[in-house]
Amino acid sequence: MRARQILVIGVLFLLVLGSTEAFPGGRRILTLWYPAGEITQSTLPLRDPTVFAPFEATNNVKIEMVAVDYDTMQQKIFAAAAAGNIADILFIDTSWLPGFLKENLLEQVDPAKAKRWLASVSPEIATLSDYGGGTMWGYPQMGHDIYGLTWNKQHFKEAGLDPERPPQTWDELREYCRRLVKRDAAGNIIRVGYAIRHVGHPHGVVHKHLWAIWGAGADLIDNPNALRGGRAMFNNEGGRAALKLVLDMLNVDKCTSLNFPDPRAAFLSGIASMQISETVSIRARQPREAPNMPWSTGWGMWLPPARKKGDKPVTLLGAWLFSVPKASRNKELAWKAIEWLNSEVNDYRLAAKFNLTPRYKSNWAKEPFKSDSYVQTLLKMGPYGRRLPINLGLNGIMDALGGAIQKAWHGEASVEAALAEAERLANKAIQDAMK
Amino acid sequence: MYRPQKWILQAIQRGYRRHYVHAYLFISPVLLVFGLFRVWPALQTLYFSFYRVELASHRLVYVGLENFIDLFHDDIFLGAVINTFLYAFAIVPISAAAGLILAVLFNERFPAKELLKGVYFAPMVTSTVAAAVVWWWLYNPQYGLFNAILRLLHLPPSPWLLSTKTALLSIVLFSIWKTVGYNMVIYIAGLQAIPSEFYEAATIDGASSIQQFWRITVPLLAPVTTFILIYNGIFAFQVFDQVLVLTGGGPANATNVIVLEIYRQAFQRYRFGYAAAEAMVLFLLILIITIIQFRTSRRFEVTY
Repeated sequence: MRARQILVIGVLFLLVLGSTEAFPGGRRILTLWYPAGEITQSTLPLRDPTVFAPFEATNNVKIEMVAVDYDTMQQKIFAAAAAGNIADILFIDTSWLPGFLKENLLEQVDPAKAKRWLASVSPEIATLSDYGGGTMWGYPQMGHDIYGLTWNKQHFKEAGLDPERPPQTWDELREYCRRLVKRDAAGNIIRVGYAIRHVGHPHGVVHKHLWAIWGAGADLIDNPNALRGGRAMFNNEGGRAALKLVLDMLNVDKCTSLNFPDPRAAFLSGIASMQISETVSIRARQPREAPNMPWSTGWGMWLPPARKKGDKPVTLLGAWLFSVPKASRNKELAWKAIEWLNSEVNDYRLAAKFNLTPRYKSNWAKEPFKSDSYVQTLLKMGPYGRRLPINLGLNGIMDALGGAIQKAWHGEASVEAALAEAERLANKAIQDAMK
Repeated sequence: MYRPQKWILQAIQRGYRRHYVHAYLFISPVLLVFGLFRVWPALQTLYFSFYRVELASHRLVYVGLENFIDLFHDDIFLGAVINTFLYAFAIVPISAAAGLILAVLFNERFPAKELLKGVYFAPMVTSTVAAAVVWWWLYNPQYGLFNAILRLLHLPPSPWLLSTKTALLSIVLFSIWKTVGYNMVIYIAGLQAIPSEFYEAATIDGASSIQQFWRITVPLLAPVTTFILIYNGIFAFQVFDQVLVLTGGGPANATNVIVLEIYRQAFQRYRFGYAAAEAMVLFLLILIITIIQFRTSRRFEVTY
């Protein structure tokens, strides 16, 4: 009998303890899901448990930040939405947006607030925010995620190139590449002039070559803001030229190689002199992986080269969005928390604290951003950024184009045949997505 | 007032006497879990395959056989089916044969036998994802061990996972390494069940070791071989983890397999009805092959 009493008291104690944990001080709880690990630098503020402290104190709420594995995060969000048990705030990759919109999963930002936001942030942030006619599905992260050319200044000096002047055109890129490549006594390449991404997920392959595809006048789809319909726009003269550029570097100039499949790792380990990818990634990894190659004196960063002199360079601008799912149980409070986090004051405070770039135009002119050469370079690159289209068939378009790039560069199909097949697959994906 | 019919009561009493009720009570937790997490999702998949499904918004539109008709016009799915067959037809016999050879070798006595047996079995108990990540590095054309060995032998380096011509083969090699230890252990158990009298009689009759292997070992291991072929075959058709980690289905869909394609359609393109139809096709393929294997194996049934 005594044992049973102890058991009952124990269970009651656990229940009381559990309830106080779930509702600390009677406060409401908001959950926020963000990607775990070093997927994006913009998660840095979210890894700080005190980031929402002032908001929590004034709104009698506790914001629980949950790190979710990136590789399965999209699926987890979807499964949680289908089960009706999803986080109140989601920090999502914009490439997931079409699928989420197809399933009517996200709340739209209030149009009046969207208008105010678009008017006060820098142009590239407005580009990332606006999905046509001022429609916003969330607030983009702080911290520019722009693709750029990075180069090793020491290698430039060794090759007799001006370390402060990156290649401006495709011809210059090829010439620099030829001068920077290094071979051993047997003629094998031991350092590529320019490293290319040609393996792994097809989306990654496309992301790292969009600068050339866009720069040559080709595109992924005819209308980047249309959710449904449209047609692929890369099987044309521009698309073919973009793929041939690398093919010529591989086969004619022999200054790059398929044997250096991870451009960022190759660049940071000194076996690639130039590469094009997310600049923020090089910035984050360099102190750890290449401490002797500091920003400004060791490596430089600028826009990818334009096709020819006088052309406007173009590059990929990526972002993660703070958004609210329709199935959130605390929508009003969730929006309030997001708006607080993305206010002008907090944009400045958090960007400065976590060494990220701000979003508000007014904040760019303040210290420490004003005198930070890295930040100012990003600011100059921003206006040349372009975001991914929103089409529901985007996944299939990227798969098809990524496959074509791989086939062409691996010499398994001509550029023409690879792009023609990819165009057919991409158009089918667009049609399938409309069903 | 309703009274149960006499035969129902008798059936319950009979069941009670014969302990059927107890037996079903004992297995009911397993049946419940199996039904909830295996049978119900399978039935739901079949149901979804006839619909256009928007899971998050809980919207279902009946499309009849449209998903299945689309499948047969989908080059990527058909390519995935071919890749899956190539993979299965490569890995199942090679892995079984390698397992048998190792088992025969390990049936002999030699120093450090148990340690080596453990070494061969270790891949089986290693996480596929973790092992695949290690193999990804081994296959790296610049720094990988395999190309380093090729260079030492003055052979040209291979692109391994980077080429559409060698990527599937590279995955097959990994999978053989992963499964051979399991097959070896099953074959060792089979070998130990063969009475030694057969070998003694054959030795007296002057049969060589090779003759004994082909005339005694192989035929008497037929039931074990059948089990291994069916077991490995089913798993080969469900290959996913290593493909996702090593190549993601690339380059250019060269290693795309059915389960990966299902995953892509469902969780990257949100075409759940279509993915369900693909899953049903996979189910039918596995069912047909298993039936063929069962029927063929009956010819090789042995008793000793």
